[in-house]
Amino acid sequence: MHYVLQYGQVTPFLSYFLGGALISLVLSGLAFCGGMFFGLVGALCRLHGGPVLSGLVRAYVVFFTNTPQLVQIYVIFYGLPDLGILFSPFAAVLLGMTLNAAAYLTEILRAGVTSVHRQELEAGETMGMNHLQLLRFIILPHIFRVLLPPLSSQYIMMVLGSSMAAVFGVEELTGRAFNVNSTTFRSIEVFTLVAGLYVLVTLGATILLALVARYGFRARVKVL
Amino acid sequence: MYLDIRGLAARYHELQVLDGIDLSISRGEIVSLIGPSGSGKSTLLRAVTGLLPPERGTVSIGGEEIDYKDRRSLRAARSRLAIVFQQYNLFGNMTVLQNAVVAPVKIRGRSRAEVEAEARDLLARVGLGDKLDAYPDQLSGGQQQRVAIVRALCLKPEILLLDEVTSALDPERVSEVLDTIRLLAAEHITMLIVSHEMSFVRDVSHRVAFMAEGRVLEIGPPEQIFDAPQVQRTRDFIDKISRK
Repeated sequence: MHYVLQYGQVTPFLSYFLGGALISLVLSGLAFCGGMFFGLVGALCRLHGGPVLSGLVRAYVVFFTNTPQLVQIYVIFYGLPDLGILFSPFAAVLLGMTLNAAAYLTEILRAGVTSVHRQELEAGETMGMNHLQLLRFIILPHIFRVLLPPLSSQYIMMVLGSSMAAVFGVEELTGRAFNVNSTTFRSIEVFTLVAGLYVLVTLGATILLALVARYGFRARVKVL
Repeated sequence: MYLDIRGLAARYHELQVLDGIDLSISRGEIVSLIGPSGSGKSTLLRAVTGLLPPERGTVSIGGEEIDYKDRRSLRAARSRLAIVFQQYNLFGNMTVLQNAVVAPVKIRGRSRAEVEAEARDLLARVGLGDKLDAYPDQLSGGQQQRVAIVRALCLKPEILLLDEVTSALDPERVSEVLDTIRLLAAEHITMLIVSHEMSFVRDVSHRVAFMAEGRVLEIGPPEQIFDAPQVQRTRDFIDKISRK
């Protein structure tokens, strides 16, 4: 078997791939932001929501962390239309990824919230901060500082996991790799190039998250 | 009276920690609370600030009674008070300067430039002018406590509450914090101080209150409390600490 690598046949598609990488980044970024919001609400419900609310959130977490994400998106994309609820492929994947991320982030953020020093909260309270201000100035910066490694891991998993969007016809990076592969038949070149682009995208995503933590929430984290 | 506490009672679960506190402080007056551990001194400060809501009794500032069940009333009261804690309670994610300005700027809505100028000035006066960009965990305990005092002063409180501000410090750091408080005393800021530093209490206080079992048993000028206490429990306490 003699195979000659011919990257020259796939490099003309580089800008097409980069467009796909941007869609992957946007999809995972939006899902991560949504997951952070609902995860934070979930974490606060688990900690301060009383037995009923805490139990409901716990059941949600158990369900979404113990079923495959692909199956969850199948239910949204192919199952819900039977009930008259239709989503575009992008919206279905985004919703599925957000709900899945919210479950994992509920547990990650719960650990972060419980690690906030009670004395700092008391100081903020006596200075007149309300709950939202305590969250903004004390809890979130602390969470970003303490939890940046697990949050980054979660974000990278989501960027990589966004490749399953190709199954539903979303033309993100993997979806575009399928398209180029079907016309060039240079599978090794196409998928190794795309793999390299995923490395760049996840590195970019990690740096972006650290920048948001540092400049958006004043968390003491290193960007690089 | 400026700060007027009447029949104040509070409990931690089953434990009755404050059992009918009566205490009045005039504007510009410095009152220190002394007494054995567990007598309720720190709890009194926590109750006044609403961190431990009182179960009965009243607290008034400048004639306005605080309704601890009403958020607006509590917030209004807290805007007139500032407390410095034993463990400093600085915000670990903020620099020294950010710690000092965050509440006046973000909560009270004052101009950042104005508050920063005040904070820089105060920090320089307490010897921390070169630590503006340091984080709390890069400072010694004494430095952190001075930052905590400056943070409280940047709120421009009408009444400053100091809760055993030297208890967590190494002996050589105590004097630098006490000197800072002496500076404030010279500016006639109304203060309610909980302290175990008896010579400091005697030195700065206009009046000293002796507390035991959640009550104020005796109150008077430092000379009375330390040299001629009227109540047997106060006498026993003073004798005990004098022997140490």
